[in-house]
Amino acid sequence: MNRDDRGTDSRRRFATLCETLRPDLLRFAFWLGRDRQLAEDVVQEALLRAWKSFDALAEEGKAKSWLLTIVRREFARSFERKRLEVADLDALVAAEADVLAAEDDAGLAEMREALFRLSDEYREPLVLQVMMGYTTQEIADQMGLQQGAVLTRLFRARARLRQELGIAAEPSS
Amino acid sequence: MNCLEFRRRVGAEPSVSGDEIEAHRRECAACARHQDELRAMDTLIGRALAVDAARIRKSGAAVSPARITPRRPRWLALAASIVIGLSVGLALWISSPRPSLAREVIDHVAHEPAAMTATVPIASEALAGVLDPAGTRLRPGIGDVTYARRCIFEWRVVPHLVVRTPQGPVTVLLLRHRSVSGPVRLAEQGYVGVVLPAPRGSIAIVGRDLKDLDGIAQQVFEAVDWGN
Repeated sequence: MNRDDRGTDSRRRFATLCETLRPDLLRFAFWLGRDRQLAEDVVQEALLRAWKSFDALAEEGKAKSWLLTIVRREFARSFERKRLEVADLDALVAAEADVLAAEDDAGLAEMREALFRLSDEYREPLVLQVMMGYTTQEIADQMGLQQGAVLTRLFRARARLRQELGIAAEPSS
Repeated sequence: MNCLEFRRRVGAEPSVSGDEIEAHRRECAACARHQDELRAMDTLIGRALAVDAARIRKSGAAVSPARITPRRPRWLALAASIVIGLSVGLALWISSPRPSLAREVIDHVAHEPAAMTATVPIASEALAGVLDPAGTRLRPGIGDVTYARRCIFEWRVVPHLVVRTPQGPVTVLLLRHRSVSGPVRLAEQGYVGVVLPAPRGSIAIVGRDLKDLDGIAQQVFEAVDWGN
């Protein structure tokens, strides 16, 4: 295979990865930043960075984890650059109302809003666990935390969601 | 493993299993139920997180890799078909009536026995806090509501009420997500009840030693305003 063929093959494989994983990357970035514009920008930048270092990806089976890491780093960079501050959660929810909407399922829309209102430290590990299927150790690795700290955050995240939704704390014994 | 350790563990990771977890589940029905509820809540969280990616995307946004001519390999099409098939199957499974409705209702009521013994009427604001998100109201005259909470039931958040009636306390679950084609009778673990078709989904009415279940069910049914 000559250099041109290898380049074409890489582009094709990368394009396939983008096509397959981009919806998940967008959702991940959206739940990280709670801003669709930011999510789109972050994913776009992340994919450009990923393309530049695509040759460094040894196993395509690990592409999702690799891309999520890049998205997360890009988000951190972007967040730092733009110095975004969440001053008004209600306004944030209103701005993304159509993404959070769930036609004919008020409970689902309500859960989305509750997730939106979770602080970053609780929302991110929950997204990684529930949406991405990461183990607590993988989340710890991603976030640079001890596994125990991740378990605490996940416990509190669910407790806050129950509280926010007014769900009975636990069944009576 | 004691109850506190179990609840801390499953509160962080509802899908966790293992010898210790399974042993405690066998010993403690309340903790087993708690884990089941958390698993159900995780299903709801998963559905909530799966927002439509197309709504996130800006119109006309173009990322450079998209300019690389994509040619979808055959295996990818096959994988996509499988994923779509599984998704459709899951959606049908979630939305279709399941034969275990009676068991689910009775189990839910049986695992919250304290709800049936409450006697202090709930404040109207607290009741509204439970009913408003479901778009429902209670018309006056049904009797005192002594318990009103939002619970996870079949992966949904549903209002769970207890109403004091002349025949005793009656549990009411408003199941907007669950349609039934006709009345479903329940009689298990000492409870009797019925699930009735409603303008939005269904309504489960359950009690103990009810002499006139149909009469009570009718009164409760008519007292619920399901909104538009």
